[in-house]
Amino acid sequence: MYQGPTYYGRAQLKPSPFNNWVVGGYVFLAGLSGGAALISAIADAVRPIGAAGAVRRGRYLAMLAPLVGPLLLIEDLRTPSRFYNMLRVAKGTSPMSIGTWILMAFSAFAGLGAAAQFASDRLGWLWPRRAARATQVPAAVAGAGLATYTAGLFAATSTPLWAAAPQSLAVRFGASSVAAAGAALSLAERSARTRRALDAITVAALATELAATEASHRSYRRAGVDGALDGAWGQVEKIGATGLGAALPLGLLVASLALGRRAGRLSQAASLATLAGSALLRMSIMGAGDDSARRPEISLRFSQPDNLPRV
Amino acid sequence: MDMHPRALEQSNSQFGGPIPNESELTAGVRIEPGKSYGFFTDTTLCIGCKACEVACKEWNNLPADNLGLTGQSYDNTGALSANTWRHVNFIEKAGVRENDLAPFQSGWLMMSDVCKHCHNAPCLEACPTGALFKTEFDTVVVQQDICNGCGYCVPACPFGVVDLSDLDGKAHKCTLCYDRLKGGLEPACAKSCPTDSIQFGEIGELQQRARERVGELHRLGAEEAYLYGTPGAPGATGDLGHLNAFFLLTDRPETYNLPAAPTRASNRVVPSLFSGLAAVAGLALAAAAMFARR
Ligand code: SF4
Repeated sequence: MYQGPTYYGRAQLKPSPFNNWVVGGYVFLAGLSGGAALISAIADAVRPIGAAGAVRRGRYLAMLAPLVGPLLLIEDLRTPSRFYNMLRVAKGTSPMSIGTWILMAFSAFAGLGAAAQFASDRLGWLWPRRAARATQVPAAVAGAGLATYTAGLFAATSTPLWAAAPQSLAVRFGASSVAAAGAALSLAERSARTRRALDAITVAALATELAATEASHRSYRRAGVDGALDGAWGQVEKIGATGLGAALPLGLLVASLALGRRAGRLSQAASLATLAGSALLRMSIMGAGDDSARRPEISLRFSQPDNLPRV
Repeated sequence: MDMHPRALEQSNSQFGGPIPNESELTAGVRIEPGKSYGFFTDTTLCIGCKACEVACKEWNNLPADNLGLTGQSYDNTGALSANTWRHVNFIEKAGVRENDLAPFQSGWLMMSDVCKHCHNAPCLEACPTGALFKTEFDTVVVQQDICNGCGYCVPACPFGVVDLSDLDGKAHKCTLCYDRLKGGLEPACAKSCPTDSIQFGEIGELQQRARERVGELHRLGAEEAYLYGTPGAPGATGDLGHLNAFFLLTDRPETYNLPAAPTRASNRVVPSLFSGLAAVAGLALAAAAMFARR
């Protein structure tokens, strides 16, 4: 912790003006949709017949971000009537601009895929199925971007907690997105075999997320910003997102996979916890980041020369 | 200060309009597009009169933020905000001079803070609409007809400068008097500063003047004087480049609520995106393996 002078304890930085429920909700949905597009494309490529249900539900689930996401993002603008100005430039230095275009691309491909899926479900035509298969690869690629760019959006600011661990934060977000999508698809899955595959994916993603969480916390301690997690949002991050939302479902899923067929309830409970944890992760990181910007002893510590990137 | 020879031509009040290239008379510099302009704020000259704050509010038509008292020395402004683009810090320090007066009688540090108009400005790089741009005078300005109030520039700024206004839902900050520069006028704060603590000019020339001033102060025995925001100095760290509004300080930066070593936020975009994508790619491979299993 920084011990030197502050200016009457006043903030040295301004916290983000984002509404953490609205924007955090978007970040969660973006991850869920991106992950769903990815898992559905992989399922279709590897097990097209056996996992057809998961493939179909994944294509529909992917529509959450295109349908709800823009509403949340526009709601959070202070001048919402000018939302279209987001589309007048494309800037590689601005993850918000990168994300705008990723969301556009994802919406186009996922939208075509869902529409084609709908056509083949309802009308029984064959060619829409091929169309859905053609769009699922670009949708999965854009989905991977959608699931992770939001971490870059936070990392590319001067908010100490977000800037202190750019890499592990992105791994956490990406893994949490895959876990949430696996959990959501597992909840609706009727084939026991596919559900086991989905649960195993969630296990891998949750384990990755927990490892990245540990790496993040180590970076926070090294940069001297770990005090930002002492507040209420920090407790939500530690107990809610990491404990009940990642470690607990990981244990439940491992148990349910070991028990085999009779463990449907365990899998369901784990899936619900994973989804809640994924949402809480985004909101708590946003809230704790704002805390870190408000507290001068943290921001002035973070901007000490020993935290400069090595060149 | 010597009078500019052209000032003699302007002995009478004029009502026809501004004096052409008036900045030549008031700041000794002609304002031309394509050159870099900025502020050199010499805190050793600041007397805390807040003329800069007032001039800024007057010229830019900015409402007051706070009419109360903060109890923090003479600083009742508090911080830079959407409505406050110059802010005078007041720091009362003990032990600055060899006497036994109370700090408020002898230990003043005062500093007129402002947007730094960073060379690689994080606010500008973060702006997703292109509302924030570099002007022909190498300053950083928010175009009010484009800003949609997303607020992403606010956490991007390493100095806590730019801010959203509740009144109009747009981001606001110092424009280095873009409108005045276009009309050949020195920015309002610099023009109003009675001690020339705020000096406006071309960056190269200002930096030269600032280095000389530091040398002069060192000769006078004020060895703690140093520059903040010139190339290679504190404040111009982490790939930010130099700051077009830079400062002469006499205590560590944190005393003035300035970061010792700020960084360029956009340098974190690529490492973050690539690690995230790599992790998702790895999980995708794992997912393929899970589905392939019997
Ligand atoms: S000081 Fe802040 S608001 Fe001013 S140019 Fe730099 S990043 Fe932008």
